[in-house]
Amino acid sequence: MSAATATFDRDPGVGQRLLALGTAIALGLAAWQLGTWISDGWIPPLGEIWQATIDAIGSGETWGEMALTSKRIAIAFIVSTAIGFAIGFGMGLGRRVEAYFRPLIVMGLAIPDPVYVIVAILVLGTDESSGVIALTVALVPFVVTIVHSSVKARQRDLDEMSKVYRLGRRRYLTEVLARQVTPALLVASRTSFAFAWKIVVLVEALSQPDGVGAQIYEAFRLLNAAEMIAVALIFIVIMRSVDHLVFGTLERRLLAWAR
Amino acid sequence: MRDDGGFIRVEGLTVSYDGEHLALGGIDMSVGEGDFVAVLGPSGCGKSTLLQVLSGLVRPVSGRTTIAGTDVTNESVSNRPRVGYVFQDHRLLPWRTVGQNLELVLASAGLPKDEWGARVERFLDMLQIGQHRDAWPMRLSGGQRQRVSIARALAIDPAVILMDEPFSTLDEVTGRRMRQQLVELWQQQQRAIVFVTHSIREAVYLADRIVILTRGPATVLETLEVGTPRPRQYEDPRLTELESEIVARVMEVWGYEDGGAATPESDSPMELA
Repeated sequence: MSAATATFDRDPGVGQRLLALGTAIALGLAAWQLGTWISDGWIPPLGEIWQATIDAIGSGETWGEMALTSKRIAIAFIVSTAIGFAIGFGMGLGRRVEAYFRPLIVMGLAIPDPVYVIVAILVLGTDESSGVIALTVALVPFVVTIVHSSVKARQRDLDEMSKVYRLGRRRYLTEVLARQVTPALLVASRTSFAFAWKIVVLVEALSQPDGVGAQIYEAFRLLNAAEMIAVALIFIVIMRSVDHLVFGTLERRLLAWAR
Repeated sequence: MRDDGGFIRVEGLTVSYDGEHLALGGIDMSVGEGDFVAVLGPSGCGKSTLLQVLSGLVRPVSGRTTIAGTDVTNESVSNRPRVGYVFQDHRLLPWRTVGQNLELVLASAGLPKDEWGARVERFLDMLQIGQHRDAWPMRLSGGQRQRVSIARALAIDPAVILMDEPFSTLDEVTGRRMRQQLVELWQQQQRAIVFVTHSIREAVYLADRIVILTRGPATVLETLEVGTPRPRQYEDPRLTELESEIVARVMEVWGYEDGGAATPESDSPMELA
């Protein structure tokens, strides 16, 4: 590694990371405050948002909505990831499967997410299942695309080694292929989760009477911007924490060999 | 132990990847049980393809291959006698430790689980890398990884060991140490080894017999017996003389990589040195 690359790639350390985080937060707050001053009161001041956040945290209703939304995210995430992994592996390993699913996936990626939600409402009505189904259908193409491309780009050298040493189908899939594409599976899962918690807000706002999305939409309808932002902030913090704790831990464990 | 009657027999082997162009143009050779045979040929002539056919990775267009008396020409890998394969690059699984890499092939070879620990220890110690049993492969040097790869090939009790230019990416000093160690291991184990190389010096140092191939599509140009007694020194003048003779013979046939077609000639065995 050259000296220039080594300097560029050097770990910034905890101090610099905290400084970067602090700077980003300070700039965000300053920009918000500036927006408050020039918006003629449409953007609530920071103090008002802080108070609304404290109120929301203390309210049982907020946590009930969070739990409901989390359940929807979990169902859509698990189902879409399972389906996406299965189709992605199938497409990466078999050309016939690839030829069959490719047009569907291309079409799926081209359709804007709100269209899934609207079609689900038209077909299934506004009950619980329509939101989860819309969310699942919207996520699958992203998962498939990531898994498919990584399986297809696998190291063929290791395929040969597996054949020569007669690893068999089960060992090949679990010990060679799955481990080889683990980084991509983590990316696919993380992407699926990130899309899930962002799209669910839209789904709930459009089709559900409850959940965080509905709560945010209700606050917006009543022009209560501070509550809308407070609920959104709490939701974002929770989802980012789950992402960090679950996927960060998984990544550290599964990719320990690469460090 | 030696069996020149043909522990491995290859007759009229032709291979084509695309159905039009031949990668192997009709190979005939035999390897006795416990023989160390080097397959020598210019880059891209089809040496590795020959090993892939022997291991079952590639099916020939025509010809016949037998290993230990069993016709394996069109058998899948799982129906062949067990083969240990040392690739040019180590092909270890980076997410499994050195010991776990060996355990994986032992499990796949159907060896009882209670034997794995002792086997792993035995073969890693034999290759002098026992202390790295719990290390990740990427923490090892190129030479150490190739040792693990050889230990993996030996650990499954293979009928034959196939080696595809395993030392070509190592530095000169490590490469020489590894060759010396390989000869010692072969003398202990007495297993047939088919060693593919484009280095004439490596072939004359390691092998009892050298099968020289033409430029692709490969046919056998000559088969030479190396009479130089063991233990051999890498700088032995007799090996240098033999190397010079082979260079003189193959110069015209191998030519340059981008020049001239192959010239198949006689494959009658010759005694040299």
